[in-house]
Amino acid sequence: MSELPLLGPLGVLESSAALRCEAITKAFQGVHAVNGAAFEVPEGQITALIGPNGAGKTTVVNILSGSMTCDAGREFIGSTEVTNWPSHKIARLGLMRTFQLSRELGGLTVLENLLVAPAHQAGDSLFNVLFRPGRVRREERDNVERALHTLDTYGLYPLRDSRASDLSGGQKKLLEISRAVMASPRILLLDEPMAGVNPALIDRIGNHIRDLRASGVTVLMIEHNLNVVEKICDHVIVLAEGRTLATGRLSELRQNTEVVKAYLGEVIDASTSR
Amino acid sequence: MQIFWQSVGFGFVTASVLAISAVGLSLQFGITNYINFAYGDFMALGAFFTYVLNSEVFHLNIWIALVVGSLAMGVFAVLINHVIFSPFARRFKKTFYVLIVTFGLSLILLNLEYSIWGADVRFFQMPLAKVMHIGPLLLTRYQLIVMAIAVALMLGVHAMLKTTRLGKSMRAMADNTTLAMTSGIDTRAITTITWFLSGTLAGVSGTVLGITEGNLTPASGELFLFVIFAAVIVGGVGSIYGAMAGALLIGLATEISAAFINPAYKLDTAFVILICTLLLRPSGLFARPGKA
Amino acid sequence: MSGIWYYIFTLVFFLFDYFILAMGLNIQYGETGILNFAYIGFVAIGAYVTGAFSLPNSVGTGQQYILGLSLPFPLGLILGGLAACLFAVIVALISLRRLRTDYLAMVLISLSLVLYDVCNNYVPLFNGADGLYNVPEPFAGVLHLTTNSFIPFFAGVTGAIAVVMWLVMGRVTRSPLGRTLRAIRDDDVVAAALGKDVFRNQLKSMLIGSFYAGIGGGLIMEFSGSFNPTAWLPGETFVVFAVIIVGGVGNNIGMLMGSLVVETLLVHLPAFLPDIPGHPGLIEYFDAVIIGVLLMVMLWFRPQGIVPERLRRAATFGVRDDLGAEANLPPDELSALAPSPVVQPGTLQARSATNE
Repeated sequence: MSELPLLGPLGVLESSAALRCEAITKAFQGVHAVNGAAFEVPEGQITALIGPNGAGKTTVVNILSGSMTCDAGREFIGSTEVTNWPSHKIARLGLMRTFQLSRELGGLTVLENLLVAPAHQAGDSLFNVLFRPGRVRREERDNVERALHTLDTYGLYPLRDSRASDLSGGQKKLLEISRAVMASPRILLLDEPMAGVNPALIDRIGNHIRDLRASGVTVLMIEHNLNVVEKICDHVIVLAEGRTLATGRLSELRQNTEVVKAYLGEVIDASTSR
Repeated sequence: MQIFWQSVGFGFVTASVLAISAVGLSLQFGITNYINFAYGDFMALGAFFTYVLNSEVFHLNIWIALVVGSLAMGVFAVLINHVIFSPFARRFKKTFYVLIVTFGLSLILLNLEYSIWGADVRFFQMPLAKVMHIGPLLLTRYQLIVMAIAVALMLGVHAMLKTTRLGKSMRAMADNTTLAMTSGIDTRAITTITWFLSGTLAGVSGTVLGITEGNLTPASGELFLFVIFAAVIVGGVGSIYGAMAGALLIGLATEISAAFINPAYKLDTAFVILICTLLLRPSGLFARPGKA
Repeated sequence: MSGIWYYIFTLVFFLFDYFILAMGLNIQYGETGILNFAYIGFVAIGAYVTGAFSLPNSVGTGQQYILGLSLPFPLGLILGGLAACLFAVIVALISLRRLRTDYLAMVLISLSLVLYDVCNNYVPLFNGADGLYNVPEPFAGVLHLTTNSFIPFFAGVTGAIAVVMWLVMGRVTRSPLGRTLRAIRDDDVVAAALGKDVFRNQLKSMLIGSFYAGIGGGLIMEFSGSFNPTAWLPGETFVVFAVIIVGGVGNNIGMLMGSLVVETLLVHLPAFLPDIPGHPGLIEYFDAVIIGVLLMVMLWFRPQGIVPERLRRAATFGVRDDLGAEANLPPDELSALAPSPVVQPGTLQARSATNE
């Protein structure tokens, strides 16, 4: 990963970007949460989205995944413009997301949570359900096998029959990621996948994310813990006051006084004092 | 032209009743963030409180009975919130549950009213009203008083929201309950006061509805509730001033259409306006951001 | 046949009919989370359209209504169900995409009132406030049924239809489609983020539920031969809600239990009690109050209903379920999965921002 393509002064990346946004703005009751954020997420790498509180990171993820519309700006997945598409259409292009506060489908079992995810299920059509039960059953059996293996990978297999709302916080984080993986994503947006979980689990989730990269998934993750960013992320985007402040590798950003002033210094202090 | 001005006059009267009730409903919705489907029955019950004071036991003057009956309804609303709504709202995260509970309470109240007062049409005890000419409008003295009450209450609510500490706390809570709580506002006290105001306004509007319609049955509030919904949605759910504007629009539209099309389809005029609003501007004419 | 059997088979009919109605509302509310406060309006459309298709031409009947095609038994009923579906499409296009739960409930309850208003006032449509009557009893001519033998016969027919509809509904709710609907119920934002078209799926749920409503309404029309606006005041929707909440939201067998407790025992049994002298209707009023109170008590003490929703366990999918992953997850790992109290910077702030 040392030949990582670096950003030029114009923020243009030579290699292909899996996801790209231009001048995204979003205001809530007149207050700009995002104000001209623009960046590219390189294909097949892990990119961290960092920034101080209130920088608009979660809002950016909400907009990129279609959970929220933006007031201005453009968004591209590959070469397809998807600005303000509804989230189910964006999801069908292979972009999956997780939520900062885990949003499990509480009334379903852990296994069912995963089974919701695969795209284009024949069993989602009423006609097939009523008149082609065999086809639905075969597809379902394949999905169940894949889901059980995914659960096994993420260590949730023993909990497969539990109601998702009964899981602990850390287990819900794993469920969120495994559910997104079940949808065979090309791009994965992770909103603080390690927030509020203990160090042992942080390492585990980090390994899962690296495995995903190895299987060709592009990852964009919001992360506060710079040790984690250092360890697993190839590329970093710094957001401050709703704008892209800088992009590059973490080691370079540490040299950038502006970035350090805005964010890094404060967090480094905080993380070393803890 | 005569008919037109007459219907405009009625329109203002209906708008007055609507404005009082719609503001009462919206105040509570803004604070608790769920619709009270029993509000129509609150109105009818408030009117029956007034009726009891006015016609059955104390034979109070109608306006005194209105004040006492409505305040009693306010207290009743606080009790209902304390015993039923608030426990359900606290226990269940999804609004489904509390909505069904308000719907169920509406059935209970309606049938309790029926068992106590029967299905017969009741009348308030009040002398025959003189008819007055106001410009081109022809209105009874009672209708004028009802309009004056509405204007006074609207100004009162406006002043309360804009100038008093209570009003500011209420607005803060309607914007963001969590934030209001962390900034030291006693949200439970505000909720209780809001239910009192909402209940009182329901009582006032139920009674003036009875006065302007000339009669009173347990079901009158329930039918009117739908018109209130139309006013509230057209104005923008959760917006107090939207509710006032929606009331004026729906009030005038229903009465004018009643004069020129067919009085039986008054409700449907309101509904057509409601549908048009939903199609063209789903969040209402005066929507508050973040509430739609 | 004695009067008591007449009553009993009437109760049996309503047990099955409300089983059907409850399944229809359950897929909308219990499975998908659509608070359809206009449900009884869909039932009424089914009833009226079934009646209007089954009745002969209105000329000379002393009634005014549209259609009047004298269609034989199952045709009118099926068209009634489809008419309710058509109405559902219109309603969904106007309101479903635009509104969150409680506004939708407001619009729907208003809609049911307006529908009521139109049917009640516009006589040429379905005979106004008098409603339709003298609707032919299905098969009565062919099988030479008398009024007395028709009642048990049609209760049986309704039972058979209910069983078929229960099997079909079971297939839907157990399918991936049913799971998608429950996902939307639990969190529509997540369902959309997983690529599910929330509106399309809600529309499907509305269509299925409305078909059941229409059939249930049509059966009432065929059974009693008449249907008028007093039968479907908005409060009637609440009875169906009470059936599914008492029975167990999300469980089709629960619907049958709820129908037994609420519709048969609470709504129809007291209707056979004699009036209290001097207090006409008092029993009915108390009955409604009891149903309301029962619903609240159930919601508070047993929100899952008499027969709770069942979890779909892995073993029921009929796949190899022996990954032996217990070895993959040692006991200390399990405790490592528990949430840690460490609060990361930014969590609190972002929480209030996402609370919108």
